[in-house]
Amino acid sequence: MANDPGWGNRNNEGPPDLDEVLRQFKRKINALFGKKDSGDKPPQFDSKNLPILPIIALVAIVWFATGFYIVDQGSRGVVLRFGKHVETTAEGPHWHMPYPIESVTVVNMEQVRTVEVGYRTAEGRSSRSKELRESLMLTDDENIIDIQFAVQYNLKSVEDNLFNNRSAEDSVRGVAETAIREIVGKSKMDFALYEGREEVAVRAKAIMQEILDRYKTGINVVNVTMQNAQPPEQVQAAFDDAVKAGQDLERQKNEGQAYANDVIPKARGTAARLLEEAQGYKLRVENEAKGNASRFEQVLTQYQRAPEVTRQRLYIDAQEQILSSVSKVIVDQKNGNSLLYLPLDKLMNTTNSATVGAAAAPSVPPNTVMPEIDSNSLRSRDAFRSRDRETR
Amino acid sequence: MKSIGTVLIGIIAAILLISLSAFTVDQREYALVFRLGEIVAVKKQPGLYFKMPFVDNVKYFDNRILTLNWVEPDRFLTSEKKNVLVDSFVKWRIVDPAKYYVSLKGDELAAERRLSQTVNSGLRDEFGKRTIHEVVSGERGKIMEILQQSADRESRQMGIEVLDVRLRRVDLPQEVSESVYQRMEAERKRVANELRSQGAGAAEKIRADADKQREVIIAEAYSQAQDTKGAGDAKASEIYANAYGKNPEFYAFYRSLEAYRSSFKSKSDVLVLEPTSDFFKYMRNSSGKK
Repeated sequence: MANDPGWGNRNNEGPPDLDEVLRQFKRKINALFGKKDSGDKPPQFDSKNLPILPIIALVAIVWFATGFYIVDQGSRGVVLRFGKHVETTAEGPHWHMPYPIESVTVVNMEQVRTVEVGYRTAEGRSSRSKELRESLMLTDDENIIDIQFAVQYNLKSVEDNLFNNRSAEDSVRGVAETAIREIVGKSKMDFALYEGREEVAVRAKAIMQEILDRYKTGINVVNVTMQNAQPPEQVQAAFDDAVKAGQDLERQKNEGQAYANDVIPKARGTAARLLEEAQGYKLRVENEAKGNASRFEQVLTQYQRAPEVTRQRLYIDAQEQILSSVSKVIVDQKNGNSLLYLPLDKLMNTTNSATVGAAAAPSVPPNTVMPEIDSNSLRSRDAFRSRDRETR
Repeated sequence: MKSIGTVLIGIIAAILLISLSAFTVDQREYALVFRLGEIVAVKKQPGLYFKMPFVDNVKYFDNRILTLNWVEPDRFLTSEKKNVLVDSFVKWRIVDPAKYYVSLKGDELAAERRLSQTVNSGLRDEFGKRTIHEVVSGERGKIMEILQQSADRESRQMGIEVLDVRLRRVDLPQEVSESVYQRMEAERKRVANELRSQGAGAAEKIRADADKQREVIIAEAYSQAQDTKGAGDAKASEIYANAYGKNPEFYAFYRSLEAYRSSFKSKSDVLVLEPTSDFFKYMRNSSGKK
């Protein structure tokens, strides 16, 4: 076949000798004409060195040179010969047969590209604008949530990417949307918004990859990142309040716990006090008993030796002690018809003694011994003293 | 010079002839070769081909997967007579270029129109049988499958294969969305109230439990304390009984004196006495006789 790809290569190895090149070229042309139009007589011309030949040579060199290309790191060159894929070249300088025989497309494989769904970041700025049409979606429980995410992808197969889809890159957005909506549509709102965010992204990645593989796009989904998953703006306030309510719940519990932590140790303290006091009481009562008993027993021993005398002495001792410390009123009741006025009310003003019963006797003889009132007890009773002075 | 001119002319003529008779089919294309309007060859494999110059002409068709996107989401009624806005896309490709050319004159737009009509009516049918909930979550995958199969069946006659029909968005119309938002808001309010009263309840419970514990602790301690005291009292009683049992009569006397002493020990106690009492017998006379 005249257009056998081999012939270009032969020229490629060609020496710098122009004559040799031209000779070959001529031969080729002759062969071409000979095959295509067999009726034509082969043109005959002598190999005279004419200026036209170097020009042709120069054109040919330039033509060959157009076949050089360089593939960057992370890229692949896809070489098509007459539209048919013949090889894929890795990084480095390469040569392909020049137009119109071969062509090359250099595609960056490793570069991570991003598709934003639900929002757009303006070029060179950090501000982002919302795309509500993309970001609002229905959940399984018929709520609406607002999700923004970014898909990062690169290529895993240059050939697939180039040959199987007219606009493989444009598919990514559509596929991302359909994948996320499928998952969100099957999730409850709380799952998609809170606990399941990670999982939504992971599952979206899997679904996307599956679909893109089905289309043979050669695209590799590196990552699906949730930028934002929120309730829609219209209901944001109510959601925030619900979150606050959750905090309130914790706070109230803590307050209750704080109260408990205050009350219970105090009660333990009180209990300990009761127990200690009881213990103290017990020891006191017992020891008192022992003491009293011992004392009594000792007195008893002596009493048994001389009962009458001891009894007398104890009685008088007691009487003495009692009478020396109380206020005394001695009344002779033999002449019971005389009237005796006792300032008992004054005496009783500050006493609660029960022994006044005897004073109820109204008659006091004239020779009654006047009440011997201890001056100590009167010192504090002005009223009584003034009365005392009057009677004197 | 003349011979060189001939060479040049020869070269140019050759190039012209080649360019007229040769054609390439790209990896991404099909080619149909027409001879005076009649399809004589279908080239599905890429590479270099030849044709008759002037008589044959070649038409190319994309063999890649193409995407049909809707310009605007369409309204569909669900079985509960609610409207939903649906946006979808269709992935399709030409598999039989000859059929494709015959039925659609190779016009991609016409193909898309036909496809979208098919998918649209399919959507209408399937949505009409289902509720929003089923459309959104439950049977989404099934709907897409059914649509793909029916669209594929119909488009095969046109030389088209439908690889996938995917629902991109199924949304509620704006006015319905509003009521959804209101419902969501009410729901959140309910949750918030529930949480708050739960909090109050929990706190009250904790406090009440603390109060109970306090009472229990103190009561237990009290009972134990009383027990201890009782033991003390018992012990004391025993000691007293042992001691006083030795002479009850003297004890009564002795103890009474003690009691008198502790009863009358303040100046504010007033004793009204008769001089005839035993205590004063020596006050009257030294013999103590009456």
